[in-house]
Amino acid sequence: MAQGDVLTRAKARHLLRRTGFGAMPAEVDRLLASSATVGDAADRIVRFNPKGFKPGGRYYSNIHDNWIDWMLKTTQPLAEKLTLFWHDHFATAYSKVQSVKLMAQQNQYLRKNGVGSFKDLVKGINRDPAMIEYLDTVRNDKAIPNENYARELQELFTLGTRNLRGGESDANYTQADIVQIARAFTGWGYSRTKPVFRDYAHDFVAEFGSVRGPKVIYKSTGGFGSGGRDFAQAGEGAGEIDQVVDVIFEHRDWEGENTVARRTAKRLFEYFAHGGFSTIAVPSPQLDAIDEVIATSGFTTSWNVAALVREILVHDRFYDSLSDRSLKSVRWPVDLAVGTLRVLGMKPKGRYKYIPGGRYGGLLDHMQNMGQTVLEPPSVFGWDWESSWVSSATLLARYGFVRDVAARYAEGFAPLALLGISSGDPDVVVNAVAEYLGVKDDLSAGEIAAFKAFLGGPVNLANDWEVRRKIHGLFVLVMQAPAYQLH
Amino acid sequence: MAITRRQFLRRGGLATAGTLLGPGLFGHPFVRGALATPGLDRYFVVLQLDGGNDGLNTVTPIDDGGGTLRSDYEHARLAGNGGLRLASSSLLPLGVAGISGADPNTGAALGLHPGFGGVPGVGAGAGGLYSLYQQGKVAVVQACGYPDYSLSHAEAHSIWSSANPFSLGAYAGGGWLGRHLAARYGATEVPGACIERSVAAELRQSATGVLAIERLDDFDFPYDPSDDAADVAAKRAAFLAACQQHVVAPPYANIGTTGTATLESSESYHTLGRTPLHAAYGELDRSLGYDFREIARIIQGVAAGTPNVAARYFHLRNGGYDTHSDQKGADPTGQHFSLHAEVGAALRLFFDDLEQIDSGLSDKVVVLVWSEFSRRPMQNDNGTDHGSQGPMFLVGGKVNGGVYGNHPNIAESAWDGDGNTVYAQSGAFRSTDIRDVYGTTLKHWLGLSAAQAAALLPTDSVAALAADEQWQSPNFDLVRPAGGLPLFKA
Repeated sequence: MAQGDVLTRAKARHLLRRTGFGAMPAEVDRLLASSATVGDAADRIVRFNPKGFKPGGRYYSNIHDNWIDWMLKTTQPLAEKLTLFWHDHFATAYSKVQSVKLMAQQNQYLRKNGVGSFKDLVKGINRDPAMIEYLDTVRNDKAIPNENYARELQELFTLGTRNLRGGESDANYTQADIVQIARAFTGWGYSRTKPVFRDYAHDFVAEFGSVRGPKVIYKSTGGFGSGGRDFAQAGEGAGEIDQVVDVIFEHRDWEGENTVARRTAKRLFEYFAHGGFSTIAVPSPQLDAIDEVIATSGFTTSWNVAALVREILVHDRFYDSLSDRSLKSVRWPVDLAVGTLRVLGMKPKGRYKYIPGGRYGGLLDHMQNMGQTVLEPPSVFGWDWESSWVSSATLLARYGFVRDVAARYAEGFAPLALLGISSGDPDVVVNAVAEYLGVKDDLSAGEIAAFKAFLGGPVNLANDWEVRRKIHGLFVLVMQAPAYQLH
Repeated sequence: MAITRRQFLRRGGLATAGTLLGPGLFGHPFVRGALATPGLDRYFVVLQLDGGNDGLNTVTPIDDGGGTLRSDYEHARLAGNGGLRLASSSLLPLGVAGISGADPNTGAALGLHPGFGGVPGVGAGAGGLYSLYQQGKVAVVQACGYPDYSLSHAEAHSIWSSANPFSLGAYAGGGWLGRHLAARYGATEVPGACIERSVAAELRQSATGVLAIERLDDFDFPYDPSDDAADVAAKRAAFLAACQQHVVAPPYANIGTTGTATLESSESYHTLGRTPLHAAYGELDRSLGYDFREIARIIQGVAAGTPNVAARYFHLRNGGYDTHSDQKGADPTGQHFSLHAEVGAALRLFFDDLEQIDSGLSDKVVVLVWSEFSRRPMQNDNGTDHGSQGPMFLVGGKVNGGVYGNHPNIAESAWDGDGNTVYAQSGAFRSTDIRDVYGTTLKHWLGLSAAQAAALLPTDSVAALAADEQWQSPNFDLVRPAGGLPLFKA
């Protein structure tokens, strides 16, 4: 555990970058001044009451842009990092829901509830109208139940398909469990912005029990014994979808560990720390770390997300990538875009939120090209993480975005004010830019030499044309380099 | 529901998308040396139907023949409101001049979904996939699957892409075609291109270059608009040096190598010209058509010997097949009809374009079409849930068109505990393993020996499964039962 460790500059920057969007040197200074230890800093970062922001506007592009705008200006960056995480976790796409209002409502729901009880969060998402539409609960007919939601509730939202330890009997549920759970969701729909339950459309055992049996799940998995668990034993009807969640949250893998807790902690660890957790059968050191943060946070009792995240932020594994570069993560496009704009003090402009330099393209257009449009994930799986973000197409889009933000004539970009240097010596300039962008420790001597070669000699800082050509150009180059794509 | 499936056998260490194939397997001198054969003047395109295409409403029984397929179909697919049943008269018969359209096992006449006749009212790609079939260029391979099928999109997708159902470590993380590329091409070559934003799982590996290009016209490196030639030269040199000097940190070494390949390829691919039928893709105006247009442009460039344009392996995808609801049957405004129409018309246009680029070029291209699973035989209210084995298509001038493999047994008595059709490597309703299709393609289209293909495709050895429930006897010489023709012409 690192919580008593002295907060170094590198750790402070890492904490800020992973829980927010980039880190300005002044922000790192402030965290260092306020927090003596890693534990102090983590406490400071996770302690907030989420605001009730809801992205407004008439069209999809409005809610997209307004959420990104909010990420840029919020004083609670972790709230947005978590909202983005839950959005990826409970992936819901505007293109199917076809309602700006419902998408915005879900976004607000995730923000307000994303630091509290995970169990409550799942119960709420069960009856979230955008989700009811997106995963076909609204089309789940008692005569022929639609399995879509019941499957994804288990596979993606809670259990995962398999035990994290792997092994011979590592399945967490069977198709029969999906079929049974689908019955619980029959009769649910929504009216305008509110969920509704219709008794007459619900699958009751009295009507379907002769064919489908009792509402029993996990007869062969979950540690409930061969009798499984009846999720309707407390009564049939509207309460079944909560009771199903209660059962799922008691599910244990073959090692006897809580399945939902392990998977949720794994995903949060991976999101905040690094990709070393990304196989389905998680290697021992990582799985130990997962079990440790569950234990120290009391997650299986409180299901409190803030407490779990706090324990991740003070765990040694969280700082692995400072010493082992192979454990870096690829920055999500949203992180790259918001982090770059914020750290360079730039704002998208006008109705179309264009980036004021280079080709003056709109924010949404840039995000599409980089491969991440919020409120429009590619599928129910959300986005593929880590190296899936990297391709020639998405890298070109990243190169284009950072080029525009720091273009030679980008409106409002004032690099000398950010750097505070008075010498144009190539060593000084390259060092200052790399330090400001937070990549200095990750550059090889060869990369530094390449950047100095680009400058071609001392830069006359009093000459505006030369500053635009060389200093703007160097910012762009460093942001296009491999190191800047990682954190 | 007679048979209970042994569900969710162990797939140890199934890698997620984030993991790349390590060098282990291909460090083996036999594999690497044996595959370093001279390149063939051929192209291979993989088209993925993303979401799980309903195979039963793709290749559909027209009659019972000597069995009960049509009756079973009508039992599972309902008529009336929300019903998905395709009337026999609406189907496009696979029995055409010179080609039998009968299911090899039951003798039932088979037909394609009417959407494969092209996009109604659109001249571009008119006739769709069916017209290519009539020309003898489409092999329909029925009931393709793998043991212990998964109903999870993610798992099934990973298995089809990796051809590694039980996640054997040596094959983990990479795609089956990626393994082939890694063995055949070097680190500085760029043999693959995906017409999408990311590199497809089939082609994923870290040994050689695979581009991801959405649109060639946008595939250029973003220098500053006011950079002069000297600025561009200085930035180009610094960028390449930064990519090459970046301290290699697996698994992300590819950020540097991809950066290098991207900059260098952008300089050649960006300049590729239009194809003869450029405007027709615009007339079709479907995203998949535009994607095929980019492949046609690249192939035209390769065929013309354009420097630094060498992609011969392509991937593209069409989404929207997860038709849990509102699938619709033969209705031309329905989801499933539109998907089939789009795919068929785009393919037809693509092959027409290839012929216009250079007569005979369409004989050098094969398109393989797959989807991660089919749908449940028994429909739900107005859609279909996740199923098991489904049909694949192979399309090309050198394909022997017709019907391969058996239709799955869709009789209710043959469904497994989940209501799905069963994978089997024996019996009258024997399925076709996806690895036999891949292996036949590697051997007869991409020029590998049987041993070389076998080295890329792991066989199964699972104690919990009977011998005929797993894939233990590769057959890389798939043959059309009617007439005994091989899948690919010599």
